[in-house]
Amino acid sequence: MTQATEVLVPGSADEAVKLFGDGNDVTVIGGGTIVVPELANGRRSAGKALLLTRAGLAGVSRNGSRVTIGAATPVQELVGLEAPVGPCAANVADVEVRSQGTVGGNLCAAVDEVPRGDLQSALLAVGATVRSAGAGGIAEQALEDFLPERDGRLILDVSYDEPEAGSFVALERPHAHVYTALGVSAARAGDGTIRVAATGLAAHGVRLPSAEAAADDPGKAGADAVDDVSPTDDALASAWYRSKTLPVLVRRALTELKEQA
Amino acid sequence: MNLTVNGVSRSIESEPLTTLLDVLREELGIVSPKAGCEQGGCGSCTVLVDSEPRRSCLLAVAMVDGAEVTTVEGLGTPERLAPVQQAFTHHYAAQCGFCTSGMLIAAHAYVEGGGSGDHESIQEALAGHVCRCTGYVKIIDAVAATARGDEFDLSVTAASARMTNLGGVQ
Amino acid sequence: MKAVGARVPRYDGIEHVTGRTVYVDDVKAPGTLWVKALRSPVDSATMTGLDVSKAESLPGVHAVVTWEDVPLLEYGHLSALGIPADEPLLAKDEVRYKGQPIAVVAAEDEDTARAAVEAISVDFEERPALYDVRKAFDEDAPKVHHWGNWYPHFEGEMDCRQIRKGSVTDAFEQADLIVQGVYRPAAIEHVPLETQVCLVVPEANGRLTIYSCTQALYFSMGVVAAHLQLPLNKLKVVGGTVGGGFGGKVDTATETLCSLLALKSGRPVKWRWTREEEFLCSSTRAPWHMEIADAVTKDGWILGRKMLTLHDSGAYARFSPYGLTKHSFHHTGAYTIPNLEFDGYVVFTNRVPTTAMRGFGVTSVSFATETHLTRVAHELGLDPYEVRLRNANRIGDTSPNRIVYTDPSIVPVVKALAGGMDNELAPEYAAMSREQRSGELLPEHLVGQLGNPEDH
Repeated sequence: MTQATEVLVPGSADEAVKLFGDGNDVTVIGGGTIVVPELANGRRSAGKALLLTRAGLAGVSRNGSRVTIGAATPVQELVGLEAPVGPCAANVADVEVRSQGTVGGNLCAAVDEVPRGDLQSALLAVGATVRSAGAGGIAEQALEDFLPERDGRLILDVSYDEPEAGSFVALERPHAHVYTALGVSAARAGDGTIRVAATGLAAHGVRLPSAEAAADDPGKAGADAVDDVSPTDDALASAWYRSKTLPVLVRRALTELKEQA
Repeated sequence: MNLTVNGVSRSIESEPLTTLLDVLREELGIVSPKAGCEQGGCGSCTVLVDSEPRRSCLLAVAMVDGAEVTTVEGLGTPERLAPVQQAFTHHYAAQCGFCTSGMLIAAHAYVEGGGSGDHESIQEALAGHVCRCTGYVKIIDAVAATARGDEFDLSVTAASARMTNLGGVQ
Repeated sequence: MKAVGARVPRYDGIEHVTGRTVYVDDVKAPGTLWVKALRSPVDSATMTGLDVSKAESLPGVHAVVTWEDVPLLEYGHLSALGIPADEPLLAKDEVRYKGQPIAVVAAEDEDTARAAVEAISVDFEERPALYDVRKAFDEDAPKVHHWGNWYPHFEGEMDCRQIRKGSVTDAFEQADLIVQGVYRPAAIEHVPLETQVCLVVPEANGRLTIYSCTQALYFSMGVVAAHLQLPLNKLKVVGGTVGGGFGGKVDTATETLCSLLALKSGRPVKWRWTREEEFLCSSTRAPWHMEIADAVTKDGWILGRKMLTLHDSGAYARFSPYGLTKHSFHHTGAYTIPNLEFDGYVVFTNRVPTTAMRGFGVTSVSFATETHLTRVAHELGLDPYEVRLRNANRIGDTSPNRIVYTDPSIVPVVKALAGGMDNELAPEYAAMSREQRSGELLPEHLVGQLGNPEDH
């Protein structure tokens, strides 16, 4: 186990932000499900380890239809939420790992040999915003703007307006310990806007604008979605396989959405 | 750091980022949780942390400072087997036994949490646990039996030098 | 047989459910050092400039072992079965598979052991590698092994395992149809929940106590004694509960290297493979390539079989010639085929050497034979149960290697299977038994293959 130069356990969100600073040489440990084994196996060195266990950053709260999820909320706490967020969360790992792994960790997880970050498709589809700390202070931005620049940021919470309808469809996992090779979320906001997003196709979850543009025709939306992405091979599936199954998943997600009047 | 392990308060000397699994096995000599993969993929390291089943290989001990940890050794003993341990014995739910500790913890938590005993919910609760020997059927049967509250006469299926009461186990 | 059908205790049942079963990693000895290995990062290369001096001088490192430390570097694990030695315990001047061990270190803790491995320097000059057994016979194929690309030491220095019986030429001439098939089961990883692990304790009296997860305790003891050139009474091997083996824990993969480290450091050493090592470097069930051509009659008799098997042994022979031999004896499955031409090759590729796994050598050919029989039935327009029952082994039939069957059970098994699948057999098939062939079940072409069960 590669030990840290310093182990920091903030007792509040403010303290966590202060200790995180600009994130330089800081390893954030939320649930630890991704980072702890990497430390134990010598794949990563810790630098300063910032443990969020007591920082008070966990919890799901509502203000009318606005849902706010603390960054250190275990994924399991999202399972009861409406689609796409609920079913997307239920499709992550197994109950033990979900109960430990956090939403923030899922959003910050790097994609390398496996497509981590399953929750990103659901949160992109519901138009979530992220509040984060780091160099330059606290910022609030759309999730799709946060994801490409998430290095050096400490997520504080994620918020979204409950959608009017939602769906989540994914390639079946052969076992609970396997990451989702390809997952698609779709949601219809109160004003009728439809957003479609997917994980397993890029370095993080992405929206599928061509699918959104054709959302009324799920078949066409599926076919067009392929234009939005350049999938690559990884440990779970080939680029070819993803390009063949993406249209099917998009079609199913949008069909399911349509069926929710 | 401090942990209460199987009811006993222990002061922890290991470095803060040492996994709970290594603290239990190497520092405290509690070896029922196993190092099957050290990446959270197999479930053989699962223990109860404040009554919840968690992968001890995924927890840095500093994250659980002050917690109550229960391992199989704390569930029951040969002289006084917990219901889930009796069920596993009666149903031959262990072959090589390496996955058994993790399975027992998950099963115990499932039953204590009011699990209904239908196969689907058992599979969901134990989904993170891999077994390469049994094919899972007898494990699921044992968990269902525990959830039902079955009673077992282990005088036939449980023979051990440590057994002092062969007429039935409490 | 009082135990059959009765509920009996598992002798380790209580231990398993109370966490008291002792696996090798549960055994603790004071002062135990952690072992890590330097492994080849490439599939095939010449190796030069191996230098462990920096590793040896790292604080906390107690021993580093390379090929130079091994008293007998190459020992054939199955030399008693005539399979000569071919595999160095540690790589000397070349590596033939990714993951091949080059050096092992023993250090105070896991991190130091990892650092020591990284401090070993070595140079590789990569060579073209061979992965496809079918290409092994090409003139321009990369050369994998010093014996060539396939094992040449079957009895009589033959380069394949051959079975010849009757006249396949006649059978093929007399056939109404030739049915062909190619079968290629892939490699299978054992995935035991317990990874390879070994603890060796050097005793004050000069003996070594080896705690091993081996499935074959005395066999492994012999291997260690041979490599170390020690008499057996210097070794005490403590086996115990294996956390899943399935054939993958017979290779004596850790015991010898740990023994060398224990001798060199004077301390107990423990080597517990990571799950990654288990997946990438431990031996697997072999991939096989099998080609079958059956000469068959319209009414479903199999007159003869031509078969070619290429067994992928990986980079070294290990137990493959033995596995292939068993495979050859069973290449007709539980069915009586009187005219046979079988050629089986143990082919070397630049992959992790393959090993035993439940049904070593035979599961491959069972899969191929059963699938092929169904194919034969389909091509003839016949019922697959009937084709099986007609050709099934009976008392007095002989195996490919001329063993006379005394009590073959395939007939009752197929009938039970048909019953279990609610498949009603035609009366003449429902009436079949394992009794010696006669009448319609003894056509001309089967007369010569019969034997006397008393000769078994």
